[in-house]
Amino acid sequence: MSTAEAAVAPAPAPQAYSGLMDWLTTTDHKKIGLLYLMFAFVNAWAGGLFAGVVRLRLWSPNSSFISPHLYNEMLTMHATVMIFMVIMPAFVGLGNYFVPIMIGARDMAFPKLNAFGFWMMIPPALMMYASFFTVHGSARGGWWSYPPLSGPQFSPGAGESLWCLAIILMGIASIMGAVNFLVTIADMRAPGMGWMDLPLFVWSNIITAWLLLLAVPVLSGVLVMLLSDRMFGTGFFQPGLGGDPLLYQHLFWFFGHPEVYIMILPAFGIMSHVVPAFSRKRLFGYKGMVLALASIGVLGFMVWAHHMFTSGISPQAQIFFSTTSLLIGVPTGVKVYSWLASAWGGTIDFTPAMKFAFGFIALFVIGGLSGVMLAVVPFDIAVHDSYFVVAHLHFVLFGGSVMGLMAGIYYWFPKMTGRLLSEKLANWHFWLFFIGFIWVFMPMHWLGFEGMPRRVAFYRPQFEPLNRFISAGFLLLLAGGIIFTYNVVHSLRKGERTSDPDPWGVNDVQQSLEWTTATPPKPWNFDEEPEFVPAHD
Amino acid sequence: MNMDPTSTSFPAPHGAAAAAAAPGHAAHGDPSAHAPQPSGWPLLLAFGIGLFATSFFLLASGYHVMPLFYLSALICVLIPALGWATTIARERHHQDPVYTYKILRRGFFYFLLSEGAIFGSFFAHNIYLRYAHAKTWPPVGAPYLNPHLAAIGTLLLVFSSFTYHWCHQAFLKGKKALAKNWLLATIGLGIIFLGIQGYDWGTLKAFDKFTYQHGAFGSEFYWMTGFHGLHVCVGLLFLSLVYYRMETNQIDQTYNFSLTAAEYYWHFVDIVWVFLFFVIYLL
Ligand code: HEM
Ligand SMILES: [Cu+2]
Repeated sequence: MSTAEAAVAPAPAPQAYSGLMDWLTTTDHKKIGLLYLMFAFVNAWAGGLFAGVVRLRLWSPNSSFISPHLYNEMLTMHATVMIFMVIMPAFVGLGNYFVPIMIGARDMAFPKLNAFGFWMMIPPALMMYASFFTVHGSARGGWWSYPPLSGPQFSPGAGESLWCLAIILMGIASIMGAVNFLVTIADMRAPGMGWMDLPLFVWSNIITAWLLLLAVPVLSGVLVMLLSDRMFGTGFFQPGLGGDPLLYQHLFWFFGHPEVYIMILPAFGIMSHVVPAFSRKRLFGYKGMVLALASIGVLGFMVWAHHMFTSGISPQAQIFFSTTSLLIGVPTGVKVYSWLASAWGGTIDFTPAMKFAFGFIALFVIGGLSGVMLAVVPFDIAVHDSYFVVAHLHFVLFGGSVMGLMAGIYYWFPKMTGRLLSEKLANWHFWLFFIGFIWVFMPMHWLGFEGMPRRVAFYRPQFEPLNRFISAGFLLLLAGGIIFTYNVVHSLRKGERTSDPDPWGVNDVQQSLEWTTATPPKPWNFDEEPEFVPAHD
Repeated sequence: MNMDPTSTSFPAPHGAAAAAAAPGHAAHGDPSAHAPQPSGWPLLLAFGIGLFATSFFLLASGYHVMPLFYLSALICVLIPALGWATTIARERHHQDPVYTYKILRRGFFYFLLSEGAIFGSFFAHNIYLRYAHAKTWPPVGAPYLNPHLAAIGTLLLVFSSFTYHWCHQAFLKGKKALAKNWLLATIGLGIIFLGIQGYDWGTLKAFDKFTYQHGAFGSEFYWMTGFHGLHVCVGLLFLSLVYYRMETNQIDQTYNFSLTAAEYYWHFVDIVWVFLFFVIYLL
């Protein structure tokens, strides 16, 4: 990633430092994007390790491999790390890198604030990991951290409090990032580029930023209350003191559901680039896609209590939230149809990115369908808190977000680094992930129907065979991860070089400005301010 | 280290023509406004905040660490913050003021929206308990929250929004002395408001033995008014900064974003209080 050599007139960037200092002081949105991606990459290994430990414990119904206490820590930290320290920062990283380029800007609106947003992730991440070494260990109340379990009575010790504090701090970073994205896109588009000319990856970042801006503060607020209950003896969520734990659930999921869209919308955006690109066709139904994104953004704030059907909410509330949740399936379906229509009849080029994109469609549709099933109250009452929900959330988050992320990384890696990844290894990676994923998560639907509860370190003996099957499948995912890591690390140093602005030859169907500038882009992206000629309609 | 800004801009005719051809995007402005200079302050500030949060955490958990530690944590926040602020002040002369003003204003407005959402979570908490637990709300033994004094505070705070507005107007018209007077009036009103709230807290604690550990009711009362009070304090700091910058001629008719930001912030604090007063003292 030697951008220094590309720094030629007429747009020389002020490079005052080099080497490590350069990375520590950079305000270049592309470098910050890469920092986010590296951060996510490192944490993905930690989060994956925790998942491996969870699966090892579940090898047998009453395993002695790790204590139930440690199991709860591992489960909590797996989800926390994957959500807040892998998927979110990875998408922020890609957004950071490509949104300014796609709108023809030289950088984000507030480059220093952008750097601050990234560095603000580090202290909380350290806090999170450090919490393992406190007296009672790390947080173990789950990523949802419901009181009273997460309250002072049942989760004594510093772990849970550090968890709250770390998430609040990361929230600050997210809010700063969201403000930056929104201002950048609103005020820094190239001349001639209107709102309906924005590539869909940019649109998906707009909606994501709005969700972050309005949902994350609610999480911060609710965690301030929880932390205060734990540390100062207040009674926000303590029934004995007039507080209400159910209210915590409402406030948490008011954040929590928009949060799941924060993790999937950028993947939707990536899909809308990768699928047309490798079908050699234009995207089908641009306007409908924008509308679908926006309506998902709005509806996303109106479905939260579908996580609480069994928590004791009124039948009227159940009907309302069930209806809105079913409704949100409509714009989601619109998007899937648009990708299929974009590929339909095209000349399909099965690059690794395209394989991951097809993997996304296959798996995300299954996850979406199980979501729609869960939105039906009687069905949810039967399978709530069972492995069926674990299957659902992994089909949308791994099958959806992670597969989408991988499609994006394979798609943009040459652009970002000027190096090509090995296609052979990439194919291995894809098939290991795809088969491994189905191997691991598909049987969880069955376990759920059979009544195996989630979030518990023990299970009934009849579930043992399927659990062993699942734990074995973990090895495929592990192998995929190793191959991916090797491929990236090796290619960064020894991969074949490319300086073609459009290495995939996709710009004719794509109309996205990143393919019109140098590979890798120069410090300020464009030599001349790009002029944009609208081509949609 | 500072670059000559003209050498770094996109060719002017191109940008100007395109901007003229596309009304609505004319404000794209001079791209050299975005010469991202490397800076170590963001990293240092982030780590300072991390250290500060950790020391707060240790303090609140009752660990006994040297006071020097807390002091140094505070310094680790303050120095990068000041460093960052001075860098911005130095760099602004290389930027198109109209454009910079526009993006800063939008960014600050969005930031306030998210602040509003934090307060929103507290309001939602209050309203939910009030209606879902109507039979036990307010809980037995909860003190009577006297709205009369708070009403006076509310009036003063609302009035201070006007005085600040007049200050802003006067400054833009070039009447600096008048602006300063209105600004001092605003700061004074803010301080009186804080005094009234402090008095309210004091009497509730002394006579009603009402504290934040007084169940959910007390937690809400103290957190909501306290969190708001914290915002008033930050607002007062903000206003004092504006005063200082007026005094030292750091802002003028062109570069005055801090004036606008303080106005947004102060109105925000004011609006939130009106809701708070209604929900806590009247409802
Ligand atoms: C078609 C739209 C969707 C619907 C109708 C839907 C519905 C639901 C419902 C009803 C639950 C609660 C199940 C229970 O706990 O009993 C749930 C859980 C979950 N969903 Fe979805 N979902 C949808 C899409 C998504 C997407 C796109 C994501 C993320 C990318 C997602 C992530 C999750 C997660 C993480 C949980 C588990 C939360 C937890 O308890 O830890 N869902 N979904
Ligand atoms: Cu949901």
